[in-house]
Amino acid sequence: MARLGNRIRGISRLSPTATAGVIIILLFGVLALFSDMFMPHDPVSSFTDRILQPPSAQHWFGTDGNGMDVFSRVIYGAKFGFGIAIPAVIIAVLIGVPVGLIAGYRGGLLDEVLMRIFDGLRVFPSIILALAVVAATGQSLLNVVLVLGFLDSPVFARLVRSEVLALRSSIFVESAIAAGNPTWRILFLHLLPNSIQGAMAQTAVRAAWAVRISATLAFLGVGIQAPTPEWGAMIRQGAEFMVSGQWWVAIFPGIALILLVFGLNLFGDGIQDILDPRRRVSK
Amino acid sequence: MNLLSVQDLQTHFIFRDIDHQLREAKALNKVNLTLNSGQVLGIVGETGAGKSLTAQSICGLLRPPAKIVGGSVTFQGRELLTLPEDEINTIRGAEIAMVVQNPRSSLDPLTQIGAQLVRLHQTHTGGPLAGSRKKALDMMQAVGIPDPEGRFTAWPHELSGGMAQRVLIAMALINEPKLLIADEPTTGLDVTVQAQILDLLNELVARFDMGCMIITHDLGIVAHYCDQVAVMFAGEIVEQGPTREVFLTPAHPYTQQLLAATPERLQLGVKSQLGGQPPDLFNLPTGCLSQDRCTLATEKCGAPPPLIEISKGHLARCHFVKPAEKGRSKSNE
Repeated sequence: MARLGNRIRGISRLSPTATAGVIIILLFGVLALFSDMFMPHDPVSSFTDRILQPPSAQHWFGTDGNGMDVFSRVIYGAKFGFGIAIPAVIIAVLIGVPVGLIAGYRGGLLDEVLMRIFDGLRVFPSIILALAVVAATGQSLLNVVLVLGFLDSPVFARLVRSEVLALRSSIFVESAIAAGNPTWRILFLHLLPNSIQGAMAQTAVRAAWAVRISATLAFLGVGIQAPTPEWGAMIRQGAEFMVSGQWWVAIFPGIALILLVFGLNLFGDGIQDILDPRRRVSK
Repeated sequence: MNLLSVQDLQTHFIFRDIDHQLREAKALNKVNLTLNSGQVLGIVGETGAGKSLTAQSICGLLRPPAKIVGGSVTFQGRELLTLPEDEINTIRGAEIAMVVQNPRSSLDPLTQIGAQLVRLHQTHTGGPLAGSRKKALDMMQAVGIPDPEGRFTAWPHELSGGMAQRVLIAMALINEPKLLIADEPTTGLDVTVQAQILDLLNELVARFDMGCMIITHDLGIVAHYCDQVAVMFAGEIVEQGPTREVFLTPAHPYTQQLLAATPERLQLGVKSQLGGQPPDLFNLPTGCLSQDRCTLATEKCGAPPPLIEISKGHLARCHFVKPAEKGRSKSNE
């Protein structure tokens, strides 16, 4: 336990950025996991007598156009943030990493074909593609997760592939071939652990992307629909009331969204700092 | 039956150059080798002679643009060149093992050395994990790694070059191969460690009754450790025979020049006769490949020289070598 403490202190000294990010992420994580303990009201039951109330002691963040408690809804929204981002990134890693490994190791025509497909995915504006695909495949949470994971997989494929390209002609890989290892063992026992580092450092940044895009989709009215307490959907709802002065409906979920994306990005940058030896020496 | 027999092995590099012209570098031309169990064969030759390429061709480790275009490699009576990849994989690392130079970069940096040994044993021999662990510790002991238990969980970066080479030898031997190919096993190690590693290899060859092929450009190593020597030049074995015989009565002019060019002899005031360049592999001369560098060369050398057996097991590829002259090789001993 003392060793763990030392370890944590060491890391926090190494990268204050990452530490700040971790704190923000943990905060939202606790809110998402134990939201029942923090929510003063049910996030989807409406108080018909208290529509569009400004922040007060009873409703800290006020109430929205349906008379629902904004504070409870913001807390519940953390569930959607993580619930979309984490599986989306896992799917992206599960698709992208093996494709990158195989494309980088095999090379040749297979590499060309796979990478051109993934380049095609990347040059297309992701929001428009996500909008089109989700709208076409049906408006469900599962579809949003699958589409985001698929759209994000080229990032991981590219990162892993570039590492594998450098590693495949390295002596230890040739030794592994000379020792009679079949290709799958070389790919998953030797190349995977040695090439995954860059991709892992990217996961937090890509999770931030997934949170942002999923909120954008909801804001545009695709995927998750109001009155589901999802931040993007709440901002969309609140946008109507901004002009008439009821700012609290949109601002509070907006702040929550900014904070979580900010925290994930801080964490991602911090990890890259730690993994980059050049930056490490200068500290 | 020989453990390993290589007949007329030809490996070329075939690729398109920058103008899309098809080019062919004839890197290995006529490689003929034989090796028996319990024997150590040294392959010597200058840089670019095709020593490592020979080893890679035997093991099927060539990558494009290198391609085997002719010849045969028989190992324990099996033809290796036509075996499918998955069958080769059951031979590589199990029956034919390799030790390469750069021992430290030959180990996966993210796997503890004990795990690397155990994995290799599991890949080919299988059996319970505890058995593999025991075998790994035994091998570490056998190659002279102090405190095998403690080193079992060491990471590759924690090892010195000599220790890493010992680990590689342990990995090569863990599946009890019949043939060990050591490609410059001591390059980059200091002289005392070199001697230790080579002594160890020799001892293990005798203990496990393997055939061993040592690729080197150090004639001293060959003289000291090898029973047989093969001299390579421009992708050809120009002379093969028992080390003592080849070193005392070199038959091929190139071997004579090579032996005369060792620093020890140069210090005695003998001038090196080894001038010039090896032939252009894209444009090989017809006939003898060493004719441009050879002081004996005549018009006769424009025809391909025959492989002549000088005495039993001592062969050379030269027009001027006299076959089976019993008196000549004996008189010099």
